[in-house]
Amino acid sequence: MNEEKYILFGQYLQGEMSAEEKIDFEKKLSENHELASEFESFKEVQIQLETKFDFAADRDAFEANLKTISKEHFKPQKTKVISIKTWTYLVAASVVLLLGLFLFNPSKPGFEEYNQYENAYLTERGDGIENLKQAESAFNAKNYKAAIPLFETVLKENKSAEIQYFYGISLLENNQIKEAEMAFNEIKLGNSIYKNKAIYGLALAKLKQKDYKGCKEILLTIPSDYENYDKVQELLDKLD
Amino acid sequence: MTKNTVHSDQYLIEGLANNDSAIIRSIYKKFVPKVVSYIRNNSGDEDQAQDVVQEIMILLFNQAKAGKLALTCPFDAYFFLLCKRKWLNELKKVSNKGVTIPDDFTSVNEPTAEMVAQTEEFEEKQQLFDAMFQRLGEKCQEVLKWSFTLKSMEEVAEKLNVTYGYVRKKKSLCTGQLTQWIQEHSSFKSLKK
Repeated sequence: MNEEKYILFGQYLQGEMSAEEKIDFEKKLSENHELASEFESFKEVQIQLETKFDFAADRDAFEANLKTISKEHFKPQKTKVISIKTWTYLVAASVVLLLGLFLFNPSKPGFEEYNQYENAYLTERGDGIENLKQAESAFNAKNYKAAIPLFETVLKENKSAEIQYFYGISLLENNQIKEAEMAFNEIKLGNSIYKNKAIYGLALAKLKQKDYKGCKEILLTIPSDYENYDKVQELLDKLD
Repeated sequence: MTKNTVHSDQYLIEGLANNDSAIIRSIYKKFVPKVVSYIRNNSGDEDQAQDVVQEIMILLFNQAKAGKLALTCPFDAYFFLLCKRKWLNELKKVSNKGVTIPDDFTSVNEPTAEMVAQTEEFEEKQQLFDAMFQRLGEKCQEVLKWSFTLKSMEEVAEKLNVTYGYVRKKKSLCTGQLTQWIQEHSSFKSLKK
């Protein structure tokens, strides 16, 4: 009974029926709900079979391509791990090298090798406050002593991490270490883009006082995605 | 699934169906990181995240190829929820304690919930279909495979070294058998519910 039914379904779908058989079959479908629903299921299974086999090659191609892209996507992080490993070897190698150099030339890095700062560009299109402009040019001219009071005036009205950072550098250069550390520490507590720069500033303050251990400890807290991390690394290497 | 409600992100689905590498890459770039961080924050690692993402991508490919995937919500929410639920299911399988999967559907908007439900239903049907297909005899599997791969039934008959009449009959009967099992299984399942 079932077999006949399925053969009929197949014949109808494959267009193997005569015009009369077709009309007869369609009449049966319209009269018999159960048959109609079974026919619908049969058709759906046929579509599933088509999908399964028709697209088999496409699916294989898709899966292969997907795997490649997926690997590509997840690779950077994995190579990062590897590169950190090789990087450790490099550091180890350079430590050995430095150790050798150290025996012949026992010197510690000096503050002067690391106190190159970027220029301050605090005013845009010349519409800045007069004091800020003056502070900016004094700082860029490395006239830190003059820059300090100017920055202080500006900070009273307009406190930003950026201005505070350049203020901190000026203090540091002017040997007002305690004040500089206070300025940097305040930035460190915030979440601005100057946060890591401020931590680096704190390390430089230690370096200036020849507190190499303190300097190293601070440097180690700077995350490796800090924009000037190569400097941090260089200094760390020399401190070792 | 009316045409006019299709979301503009549908091009991503078409891209998957066409195996468009640029689209697949852009999905990885834009939508996968969120999934990875979710799984990593929920007792998984990156490899497991990679597997979940691949499974969902293949599922979407299949559904799109079957012509049954018309996106009516943003891809972002849809994709994330699918991956998230797949991962929670994985966790449930592993732990015998039976983690209950919260019905996230309350926290997402209706079109997204509906899309996700549709895709999960598609997956369930596909799994049932595959399982039942495996239950068929070897001959049945062969006839079906070739009749849906080769162009004509004559070619199938030649390939299997049988008569044309046999292939035609066998194809209908095997499809019928499959239909019957799937129906029985579905009604059994709906009775259980």
